[in-house]
Amino acid sequence: MRIGIDVGGTHTDAVLMDGMDIVSSHKALTSSDVRQGIMEALDAVMLDAHVTATAIDAVMIGTTHFTNAVIERKELCPTAIIRACLPTGSGLPPKCDWPEDIAAALGDHRYMIGGGHLFNGKEIAPLDERALDLAIHDIVQKGLKSIAVAAAFSPANADHELAIAKYLRQRIPDANITVSHEIGRLGILERENAALLNAALGKLAHRVVSNMQAALGERKIHCPFYVSQNDGTLMSADYIARYPALTFSSGPTNSLRGAAILSGIADAIVVDIGGTTVDVGVLAKGFPRESNSHIDVGGVRTNFRMPDILPIGLGGGSLVTENGNRLGPQSVGHRLVKEGLVFGGSTLTATDIAVANGSADVGDVSRVADLDPALVERATVTMHQMIDDAVDKMRPSEEPVPVILVGGGAILVSRELSTASEVIHPEHAGVANAIGAAIAQVGGEVEHIVSYAKINRDDALAAATEEARHKAMAAGADPDTLRVLDMEETTMSYMDDDAARIRIKVVGDLKQTP
Amino acid sequence: MKIIGAEHIKDLCAGAAFLATGGGGDPYVSQLLAEQLLEKYGAATLISPEDLADDAFVVSIGMVGAPTVTLEQLPTEEEAIGALNKYEEITGKKIDAVIPFEVGGGNSTIPLFVAAIKGIPCVDGDGMGRALPEAQMMTFPIYGAKPTPAVIMDAFGNSELLECEDALTFEKEIRAKAVAMGGMISSAEHGMSGELVKRSAIPHTISFAVELGRLLRGHGGVIDAIQDNLFKLFAESDYGVIKHLFTGKVVDSERKIIGGYDVGTATLQGFGSTGSGGSNGARDNAETKMELLIKNEYLVAKIGDRVVASVPDLICVVEQETSRSLNAERMRYGQRVAVYGIGCTHHYRTPEALAVTEPRAFGFDLDYVPLEKISID
Repeated sequence: MRIGIDVGGTHTDAVLMDGMDIVSSHKALTSSDVRQGIMEALDAVMLDAHVTATAIDAVMIGTTHFTNAVIERKELCPTAIIRACLPTGSGLPPKCDWPEDIAAALGDHRYMIGGGHLFNGKEIAPLDERALDLAIHDIVQKGLKSIAVAAAFSPANADHELAIAKYLRQRIPDANITVSHEIGRLGILERENAALLNAALGKLAHRVVSNMQAALGERKIHCPFYVSQNDGTLMSADYIARYPALTFSSGPTNSLRGAAILSGIADAIVVDIGGTTVDVGVLAKGFPRESNSHIDVGGVRTNFRMPDILPIGLGGGSLVTENGNRLGPQSVGHRLVKEGLVFGGSTLTATDIAVANGSADVGDVSRVADLDPALVERATVTMHQMIDDAVDKMRPSEEPVPVILVGGGAILVSRELSTASEVIHPEHAGVANAIGAAIAQVGGEVEHIVSYAKINRDDALAAATEEARHKAMAAGADPDTLRVLDMEETTMSYMDDDAARIRIKVVGDLKQTP
Repeated sequence: MKIIGAEHIKDLCAGAAFLATGGGGDPYVSQLLAEQLLEKYGAATLISPEDLADDAFVVSIGMVGAPTVTLEQLPTEEEAIGALNKYEEITGKKIDAVIPFEVGGGNSTIPLFVAAIKGIPCVDGDGMGRALPEAQMMTFPIYGAKPTPAVIMDAFGNSELLECEDALTFEKEIRAKAVAMGGMISSAEHGMSGELVKRSAIPHTISFAVELGRLLRGHGGVIDAIQDNLFKLFAESDYGVIKHLFTGKVVDSERKIIGGYDVGTATLQGFGSTGSGGSNGARDNAETKMELLIKNEYLVAKIGDRVVASVPDLICVVEQETSRSLNAERMRYGQRVAVYGIGCTHHYRTPEALAVTEPRAFGFDLDYVPLEKISID
């Protein structure tokens, strides 16, 4: 059996699963103490099902710790960045577009040296070892242990990043090093930002992982544990200590993945309705469709692989105004249970409308009996229209799509949606996040820039696929279950020698431990 | 004379993205670079073409190549400054001012920081008034400027002198050089007199782009709310004509790379009176569809079988809800957009200009009909 735990900003959800069956589930407020929170979640689902520690094969944890640390600028280490790019790139040094507060949290330790590659794989310059030596000397003097390494076109040729990391390890054996090609994609500014954030989270990552380990140990659970990443796959405990930033946005991803399992539908739109916002995402082959544009994390521009989510300002706590023609974006949020009409408060919310129109049965229905039926009808139409519009913006084509509703506010939707082929309200939708964590798979991804004038297209794709398979196996995937989830091929305009960027992602099941 | 400082660059880039008619790539890198450099070297001075002395010597400067390359090989000021210094050295002529190739996209920012660093003015104008893919489509060569001598420089300080007979040869030559020299180069070209700038450049486009960007960025909400201001801005500019062509949803976007160009068609469907946005006859009817024909830029707009706007007139697409300009590469199903047609200035309405910029020059078998002569409703 497996346990999935999703530690969100407000709630911690947990679920115990036997294969694809949900044995027990639990929802509680998130504890400020990581260890305590996880132990409580474990106890709740295990006691409920009378299961002992030895029956647990794996524990999967989703966490917002690292996203929150960046947003709140807390627990970030002073971090150096070495970028091999000269003579190009001197006009735009690392962190040149960061908000001041987070730039200050990491400190001003930026080094640009000769090196990096061109789009065609040739060197911009040989790696400037003398300059590297001076940079490392300075880093040692300052006593910095967190170091990000970037080089121009490293997704196409990582030699210089790897060489720098090797020198660093020789000189600073206990350094926590992030090489950008392992974490980001094409676009050096965004990729080095991602590497910087990842390196800055290193210390916190070690602490969070050891707390997680301690919680499991105290409950005598000795099976492997994994943390969910933002692409819907898992990483093992030693991986997360090295790549904490890959957990950014894993919450919406888990909710999407959970919705796929709960509904048994792999291609759909998932509408996750909370108290203040609706997150609309797209499931393609059971995984979230990824965003193609840059993503801001705490004001820093990055190019992580993140799910493509459209948030709209509507939720169970949304205020109803303009005679029912407008809902949100203002919301009473978690104060809904005090301020909503049906809960004895005096604020008209989306939940009150759902109770008044008969689609939900929460609180005291008599408190909304006197509402103007015309207003209730208008507000009901308005919120369905808002969700319909959001689904339409996200669906891949005009074809009606299955729409899966999850989250605490799913009760708001009681009618047909014009964009939907069917509207699905799965059971256990409130803990979709934890289910998504529990069933996550293991994957590997590579990005290459190739010239089809020089290499046959099939050979290029095969080589990239093989490399992605190796990455997945290194992350713990069972080779027999690996499949190509996604292949993206982008031709580069204004380049006439058939230059293309290819990105391949494979996923598979976790290899069972004997 | 006006000045452009670091504080104007975001507005300039937003305006330039609108005038890029769907092309021009992601301007983020050029925006950041210009901000950094204008902060460091001080603001650039803009000079209106009419204020240039007839015998002033003006050189056009900008970057040529694949925008994707600059995502990794970040540009510096050195290539552009190096190319310009080399140009002065080779020709023995002192450059009095620089001028952008095109206002649309990232190339609008380069002459500004070059001007700030060199301590010379940048002409408030450009050679396109929009974005177009090839050098022979610039108004400078159309009205008699010689593209060469041109000096190109790569990121390593390697430079080359180009000498070509005509603009079309120059375009082929410089494109091949860009690929050979790492994918992106800076070019100082089209040296011309102040008198020729007055005759050939589209005037006031840089200061106009700043104003346009200020309107779009300052608003940031539904475009309908600022449509009157947008119309007024264009009506009072050198462009003159602006029309709302369509508001609708992208229902299909089909694209391919052919010969280095991003080629394809996007289909938009009207919302009808029930959707967001007011009723506007054929421009907003649920039954009507608009087709946008794309070759890097939006080149032809059709409603049903009728062409309602075509190159060299500008076809500009913004996201309806945010007033942000929509790059053709980013167009995908479900986006709500508003489409505007803007009349090109008189520079593109002569037979010699139309010969290289009309729809046939891009392989579309149709005649150019000026925007103001087409009735939509």
